[in-house]
Amino acid sequence: MIKYVFKRLGYMITVFFVVSFLMYCVYNLIPGDPAAQQLEEQKQKMTPEAYQAAYESLRETMGLDDPIVVRYARWMGLVSRPDGTISGLLEGNFGYSLFYKNDVAAVIPRSMTNTVMLNIFSTILALGITIPLGIYSAVHKKGKVDQVTQVVTIVGYSIPIYIVALLCIWLFAVNLRWFPVTGAKTPGSDYTGMKEFLDRLYYMCLPVIVMTLASLGGMTRYVRAAMIESLGMDCIRTARAKGLKEKVVIYSHAWRNALLPIITTIIGWFLGIFSGSVIIENTFGLNGMGALYYIGLTNQDYELALAIQMFYMVVSLVGTLITDLSYGLVDPRVHVDK
Amino acid sequence: MAANKKDTAKTGGLFSRLFGGKKQGRSFMEEEQLQSPGRMMLQNFLHNKLGMTGLCVFLVVLLAVLIGPRFFILDLSYQDNTQMNVPPGYSLMSVPKELNGHVRDISPGTTFAVGIDDNGKVHVWGYTRITETINLANIPQEVKDATIVQVAAGYDHVTALDDQGNVYVWGNNRLNQDKLPREITDAMRKGENLNITQLDASFQFSAAVTESGDLYMWGNQNMADIKVKSAVDGHVKKVALTTYAYATLLDDGSVVYSGFQSNAISEIPESLSSGVVDIAATSSSVAAIKEDGSIVVWGGCARGEDQVPAFDGKPVELYGGRYHYTALLDTGEVVSWGDNFHGQGVVPASVQDEEIETVFAGFYQNYAVTAKGEIKTWGLKGYLCGTDDLGRDVLNRIINGGRVTMTVGAVSVIISLIIGIITGGLSGYFGGWVDMLIMRVSEVVGGLPFIPFAMILSAVMSTRISVSQRMYLIMVVLGVLSWPGTCRLIRAQIFSQREQEYVTAAKAIGVKELSIVFRHILPNVLSLVLVSATLAFATCMLTESTLSYLGFGIPLPTPTWGNMLTGANNSIVIQQYWWRWVFPALVFGICTICINLVGDALRDAVDPKSAER
Repeated sequence: MIKYVFKRLGYMITVFFVVSFLMYCVYNLIPGDPAAQQLEEQKQKMTPEAYQAAYESLRETMGLDDPIVVRYARWMGLVSRPDGTISGLLEGNFGYSLFYKNDVAAVIPRSMTNTVMLNIFSTILALGITIPLGIYSAVHKKGKVDQVTQVVTIVGYSIPIYIVALLCIWLFAVNLRWFPVTGAKTPGSDYTGMKEFLDRLYYMCLPVIVMTLASLGGMTRYVRAAMIESLGMDCIRTARAKGLKEKVVIYSHAWRNALLPIITTIIGWFLGIFSGSVIIENTFGLNGMGALYYIGLTNQDYELALAIQMFYMVVSLVGTLITDLSYGLVDPRVHVDK
Repeated sequence: MAANKKDTAKTGGLFSRLFGGKKQGRSFMEEEQLQSPGRMMLQNFLHNKLGMTGLCVFLVVLLAVLIGPRFFILDLSYQDNTQMNVPPGYSLMSVPKELNGHVRDISPGTTFAVGIDDNGKVHVWGYTRITETINLANIPQEVKDATIVQVAAGYDHVTALDDQGNVYVWGNNRLNQDKLPREITDAMRKGENLNITQLDASFQFSAAVTESGDLYMWGNQNMADIKVKSAVDGHVKKVALTTYAYATLLDDGSVVYSGFQSNAISEIPESLSSGVVDIAATSSSVAAIKEDGSIVVWGGCARGEDQVPAFDGKPVELYGGRYHYTALLDTGEVVSWGDNFHGQGVVPASVQDEEIETVFAGFYQNYAVTAKGEIKTWGLKGYLCGTDDLGRDVLNRIINGGRVTMTVGAVSVIISLIIGIITGGLSGYFGGWVDMLIMRVSEVVGGLPFIPFAMILSAVMSTRISVSQRMYLIMVVLGVLSWPGTCRLIRAQIFSQREQEYVTAAKAIGVKELSIVFRHILPNVLSLVLVSATLAFATCMLTESTLSYLGFGIPLPTPTWGNMLTGANNSIVIQQYWWRWVFPALVFGICTICINLVGDALRDAVDPKSAER
């Protein structure tokens, strides 16, 4: 098992470098000359010859003429920069955000907390609804609740999340006026402590509801399918035959078997939520990772976007690893290292 | 899985038997015929009510989207600031019953019209809520009390004249629309009657001509050239207002430009120095009728305003809409020409048959009063799904946008299928290092967060390509990022198939390996591929629309179901302009739901085991 973990880790690191190199190349396709950009302000004051000299020396010091592999290694922090320092992604230097006029590393944490809060709440809520609903409709297959659930879940996963968001804004924010339409906190408010937390929760209600609703469809169907599968197992028949109570049969015998495929999906799904939050955060004007990424891309702040893209990539790689390992942890019959 | 052993060679015969094939009688001794797997699948599918409903609805949407663009022609550069945010409905020309047979005057405005009956009562109909605060249906009490004899509708204000010579203005008055010239206010205060003969209104300004030949103009002077040269004082017979300028008909039968700027209108043709009977204006051109019945048009005539048709008879009266003219002939006939986008430029047969007494035209509306007093209309009735913030018809954009969305979805599914089938086939059949390599690549691609990655590719690539290339880019990006699912599906299927006898047989007689994969094994797993392609089609459409919604997909003004909803996430649009997001969202939602229903039904048909779940 440990050997397998190391093997996977090694593979993961390889993939990380390959993909990050590809990403770096993609970002380098963007037309633009950082050296010229930096000299733009002084251009008027200099003679053409002096400008040319300054431009070339700056290109030299920035290392712009080096092959892309070298520049990538510098950016990653594997090789020293032309000025001799080693400062890159691996050292915690994520770059400089032109939009925020600050280091990317300083910009990210605040957004990260918003995103994590949003995702945790919506995931807990969604699991709290989908698992009981899935179990119920699996046990009462072809019943009324099941048929309604089947139709509603198809609708749920067919409608894009932003349409769900628009409908929810229309219903809860515009018509019922329960929640604010957009924003992360009451404008102009200066709350502290508990009050600030509650204020933020209040503003997060609608996004959480939307994210929960949007993720209900797929997950409910998945739980239901897994549950039906396990209810058809021989061990369930045995359990019923020996006269166990139906509750015990369902929750102890069937549910545990159904849990195997579900748990792995949940982990993958947890990570997939990050991409969903790009839309939610933009629609609701929340300052999260997705909104930050959007800002980075729309404002040509590519170092910021690149850093967040790397974050997404790491999240997905770790997610794949955990999913694979959890197969072995959850199900003793599976030997992942084989 | 019995389904996978489907014999595709029989599919042709299957269809012919299904549609009109003869049923052969069987004697009771004969054994009952067995069903081929393909036929069973089809029957399973046909008996799935939900799936069939989904298929039918989807086909209807598909037909609308494929054939619709022929009738709803998309003009990407089209925008019209007079038709912004018009709600759905066909009430723009629904004249109130009280006016039937009692019309004294009608003046059509942008999305509304004002009329007065014989008793001097004002009626307003159409879409009168120009903005949140301005509603032209809120007729001031003083106007209700007065006996109105003339009325003129502008873009967002209405000017009215009563029998005492008082002038009233309501509607948008933020730009001096209601600041009457001193001569008129003085006369009103003193109780004198200036005997205004003509009242007209246009883009934020109004004009009045008195019996004594004086011309008064008031309103927003910043946009339009509405100052009057004193040389024409006392000689003005009629004015024709375009959006930004005006032309004047003098009592000696000549047309002059009495403003101060020089523009397309100020270059008046020389032939109009005498003998002009009537003048009228569209938004950018002016037309004049001469005594001999000929019509001269000048100014901006980009939409066919100057293409006067041939007609029998002499025109006596001339009216201008936004981009069209309507003329009343001395024979009682009516002719229209110019732009026909909303049907305003061609007089319908039902109007041509009648004897017409008077005509009122403006913007996109035409009203003809017959000798019996009936009111016949032609032109813009309204919009089935309303208009958006640039005055574009939402229905038109839904139909054309659907074509784009579906094309993008279909092409990207095909791309992802091709990649998925090739990689899945190779990986599943050959195994070993090929499998290892392909699986690792597919894991990486499949593991990338889809939306952010598609966003970055679109953002980076689109800086250097044209708008139409960007559409192809989106298709490729979606296709290239979504193949791993298909790849894994095919690989798993081929794993189970390659141990079967027919593969061994093919190997034994020396069929090439690639041929075994793609010609022997693949047809056996195609039914599952079909299922996954159907579901992937919905997913690709969803992703495209999400990207477009975020602004990283198909760029405006090309419509898609996604980018029609861009900017809809604020409370004003959500509540007040609901038609701008409800209709696209509804059509899109129905479409994806139907595709998913069909996909589910197909899966149940292909794999009867899953139906038991």
